[in-house]
Order: sequence, then C-alpha cells, then structure tokens
Amino acid sequence: MQTTVTGNYPKIPNRPRPARLRQAINRRDRGEITSEELGRIEDEVTIEVIAEQIDAGLDIISDGQVRWDDDQTYIVRALGGVEIGGLQRYLDTNTYYRQPEITGAVSWREPILVRDYKFAAENSSKPVKAIITGPYTLAALSLDKHHGSLDKLAMALAEELRNEVEALAAAGAPIIQVNDPVIVFHKDDIDLFCKALSRMVEGIQAETALYTWFGSVDGILSRLLDLPIDTLGLDFVWGRDNWEAIRSARFDKKLGAGIVDARNTRIESLEYIEESIRRISEFVPPDRLYVNPSCGLEYLPRETAFEKLKQMVEGVRRAEPVAA
Amino acid sequence: MPALTTNAVGSYPKPDYLAQARTQFSQGKIDRAELDKLERRATEYWIRSQERIGLDVLVHGEMERGDMVAYFAGEPGGNPIGGTKLGGLVRSYGNRYYHKPIIVDKLTWPGPMTVEMWRYAQGLTDRPVKGMLTGAYTMVEWSFDEHYQSRRDAVLDMARVIRREVEELVKAGARYIQIDEPAIHTRPAEDFDLAVEAMHVTVDGIDAEFHTHICYGEVEKIYPGMLRLPVKQIHLAFNNTDWAYFKLLEENPFDSGKDLGVGVTDVHTRLIEPPDEVKDGIKRALKLLPPERLWIYPDCGLKTRTPDEAEAKLQVMVDAVRDIKRDLELE
Repeated sequence: MQTTVTGNYPKIPNRPRPARLRQAINRRDRGEITSEELGRIEDEVTIEVIAEQIDAGLDIISDGQVRWDDDQTYIVRALGGVEIGGLQRYLDTNTYYRQPEITGAVSWREPILVRDYKFAAENSSKPVKAIITGPYTLAALSLDKHHGSLDKLAMALAEELRNEVEALAAAGAPIIQVNDPVIVFHKDDIDLFCKALSRMVEGIQAETALYTWFGSVDGILSRLLDLPIDTLGLDFVWGRDNWEAIRSARFDKKLGAGIVDARNTRIESLEYIEESIRRISEFVPPDRLYVNPSCGLEYLPRETAFEKLKQMVEGVRRAEPVAA
Repeated sequence: MPALTTNAVGSYPKPDYLAQARTQFSQGKIDRAELDKLERRATEYWIRSQERIGLDVLVHGEMERGDMVAYFAGEPGGNPIGGTKLGGLVRSYGNRYYHKPIIVDKLTWPGPMTVEMWRYAQGLTDRPVKGMLTGAYTMVEWSFDEHYQSRRDAVLDMARVIRREVEELVKAGARYIQIDEPAIHTRPAEDFDLAVEAMHVTVDGIDAEFHTHICYGEVEKIYPGMLRLPVKQIHLAFNNTDWAYFKLLEENPFDSGKDLGVGVTDVHTRLIEPPDEVKDGIKRALKLLPPERLWIYPDCGLKTRTPDEAEAKLQVMVDAVRDIKRDLELE
C-alpha cells in the first residue's frame, strides 16, 4: 500500500508565510520581472511543495502542478491549433478555467512536461509521477471550431499527446498518470473515451494510471478495467456509488483510492481512513492499492491540504496490519 | 411599479478611497467608525447616481461587502453568521484567490447583518431600496462544511438564519427583498429540490415581494423547474449568454405568474452596449411577456466595472426603456 496525490498541490501558503508565487505573477503582469525570473520562482515553489509532500509522508509525489493555471490550458496551449478563450466554470466547482478554442488541427510540437518532470525528479528523494490531462476531458472542455466532432477532436488529441507520453517515458518517468475525470459526467461517451485513452497510452514503457473524480464509474467500471492501464483512480467521496461498483467488479488492476475529501476542510478521522481501507481491501489487496485524496488539493487552503495528507498517511500506517 | 421597471442588480464598484480604507481596516489601522463613515459616503454616492440615471427601484450598492458569501461568514467589518468563520486562501482561477468560508458549528443568526445599511440607504431616497441577501443554497455551496452530517442539514439551517434576517429587513420597512442564488444550478439533478425547499423556509408567510437572481451557469438544466421557486420574480443574465435564454422561454413559457428580470447589459465587458442592442433585447422579452411582468436590469452586479462604465451601462439601459415605453405609449 502506497500513499500519493491525485493532482495539484496548493500554490500559495497563508500568512504568516509569504504568497511568493502570487506576488511574482502580479509583478510579471506589471512588467516588473521577466518571465524567466517568474520561472525561477516557480521552480523554487515546486521544490517547496515537493518538500511538503515528502514531509507529509507520501511515498509517491507529483511536482504539484505549480506552473499549471488549470488542468486544461497548461497542456493544450503548447499544441498547435489551439487558442485560449474565456473563463468557464470547472464542472461542479466554484473555480474557473480558460476554455481552449480549437482553431486548427491540434499538433504536438515539442515536449510539454518533460522538463517539469526532470526538475521535480532531481529535487525529490521520493519517486515522482508525471501527470497529464486526458484526451476526452480536454476535448469535452474545449470549444471545437475545427475538427467537427467530439470524436474527431478527442482522437486527434490522443494521437498527438501520445508523443508526450512517449517523451515522458523516455525521460524515465516511472509512473505516467492520465487525469480524465469528465467521463463520469458523460458515461454515454465510454466507447470514445476508451478508444482515445488506449490510443494515448497503449504499449508505453512505464506504469500507467487513469484517474477520475467528482463522480462514480458505476456502469462503466468493467470497460475501464479493460483499458491498457495499470492503475485506475476512483473518487470514493464525491462518487459514493464507487463503493458499490467495486463490490461487483473483478478488480484486477491497481486501485488509486480517493478516500480523503480534497474539497472540504474537515479532517477525516483515523478511524474513517482505516475503515475505508479495510473495506476496499476486501476487493483489492494492499499490494495493489494506492491511497490518495479524492482529487487535486487546490480546492483547499495549503495548510489544510498538508494536514489532510499527514492524516491520510497516519491512517494508512494504522491500517497496514489490518489490510495485510 | 411601472411597466418595464428599471433596477441595478446588487453591487457597485467601490471608490478607491473605500478600497484603501477596507485594507487599512483589516490591518487594524483605522477603526469601524471611520470605515463606516466612508461606506456611508460611498453608499450615498450610488443612491444619488441611481436617482440621477433614473432607475425605479434602487440597491444600496454593497459598499460594506467584499464578497457576497464571505461578508456573512467572517469578512472584516461584517457581522458573521454564528458557526461560520473565514478560511485560508483558495484559488478561484489564474492568479485570483479568495478566503473561502468554513461552517464550523451549528448556524445561528447573529443579530441584524444588513439592516442598518439598508435603513441608511432607504433614508436617503423616496424610491424603494431593495434588501439584498445571499440565498442559503449558495451560502453553503460556496463554503466548506466541517459541522453538518449532510448538505441538506446545513442548507436548511442556513435558510432559517437567512429567514431571520429577512424578517428584520421587513420589520425595518423593506418591501422588496432580493435573495441571490448564483450557485443554484451547481448540481441540479441532485439538489434542486433542496434549493427550492430552502427558499420556502426562507420566505414563506413573510409579507414582502421576493426576487431571486440566478447567475451564469447551466440555467437550461433548471428551467422550467426554477418556476417552482417561491418568489415573485426571477432575474437572469440574458445579454452575456447572447440572449440564448429567450429560446428556453419560447419552448417552455414563463407562465407561473412570476415577473421576469431581464439582464440586458453584460457586466463583464468594458464595452458600453449600443442602445439598439439593449432595445432589441427588451423587445424580444416583450414578445414573451407583457410589459408589466418585465423588470429590466444589467446581467449581474456591476462591482467589477469602473464607476464610469457602470453608470454608462445603466444610462443606456434606462434610455432604452424610456424610448420603448414612448414608442409603445406605455406612459
């Protein structure tokens, strides 16, 4: 059983710690520092959030996605054929992302995440997983003015982003995680979803993971378990039906169990964490189990995110003898 | 009220001196009395401005509020609802962060939160000034909750708190009360019944005219269901959505006897709408409902615009209504 994160980590701490990244971005916007100087601050903050994740006791960490404005634009703005449009509400949250506008054929030009992965790996004593957003989610949250259908756009994104996944594998990323949550809101698209995800990751020389959040995979779980991936990440907090779904599945992959609520500040009790792991262990043995928050941690204040991770790690430690 | 009653939605931009004073107050550099004086000065400005522009029903402008939820949950200067506190910073988008409130205990009414400012604003003018509150569903949806076992328990307790405030506003003399629910369409399939129930708890049996403002989002998912909300008027942002809501209303008539608030100017652009664009919007509304059931507004609160932009947008709106009323001989 290993502990990890699901996605991003809060970018700025609260007082009295200084909000360095926020200030640096403001200064860059006012022309007081260059983008290169901002990049150095982003690197420093990345080192900071890596240290916090390790300090919290995680076994596998991410780079915190410190440089990402949102899960979509950081990836697609680097592709040809994409412009960045107006603000849209992100699913059922009160946070917003800038909508990608697809104005030409999407095309991968150069590695997007490889430098970030290498930098994080060099500055971490724990393994770093590389995280990329999936083709279905990117297509569903974009405004397509070129490809003509969701199918075509998702498949084009899968084709192009496969280059990125290959580049990450070549750079040595031990785990490549695809976050593709929107499928839980549009289960009718499961055929397209599976086709696109398979195209993006099949045969890649690394451990691969697919993570979902904000809902259950009830009704599509068997399809997801047929995908050419090693790990499936599920949200057991906002997708309550996932508890029932795993009961009736032959869960032969690794499970990324999102049992800690990354959208609420209430700290889960150790008993709850322990009991959740015990229930899950009935269906997935501990050696195939990752424990992580329900989604990225940016919905929480930084200090609460850290507390949650610490509590999660402690709960897992307590559950280890039970689960084994 | 006259046909095609004109109004603002809720918030106006804060003048620089007030924005600075709010920072100084939160740093302990000035006291409540000093901040209060400046809030009242700015409020008076906006009351006079609305009279000058020619609006029929006024708002006080929310000079004392930073955020429509946080003001009731621990924002410096407010009287927080019992059981709430302001949490740490959470990112909204890009480089924008806000202090998200946390429900930490049973929610209780802390005594009047908005009455004094309403009374002050109403005292400045003969035109009606609306009481302005945030609805229970939005209050809870945009807060963390460390206390309640279910969202339902939290929302209904919050509704009881808001109801107490409504009662105080009515006691003070408010005839029109607007209860904003911009988050109401967050999880329609799961939660819309709860939002309707919360509105009942908030307003049932109270003698005042209730309006609700529902903001950007998937309005199509709660229409025509929203007609079940126990309010006299529902206000929607028509301009910003390229008037797409008219199509919803054409497919399912707005036939509950409610009034419709029509947002005719986009608050998120600096551009001042050409008069014809605004008039066209109003004329399309007139094809669906008689003039006495239409109230004309901007799409949303104007606080993100400059004072000049806010006033120019409202002037275009008021002039458009005047022209249309003259053409239709409604006066």
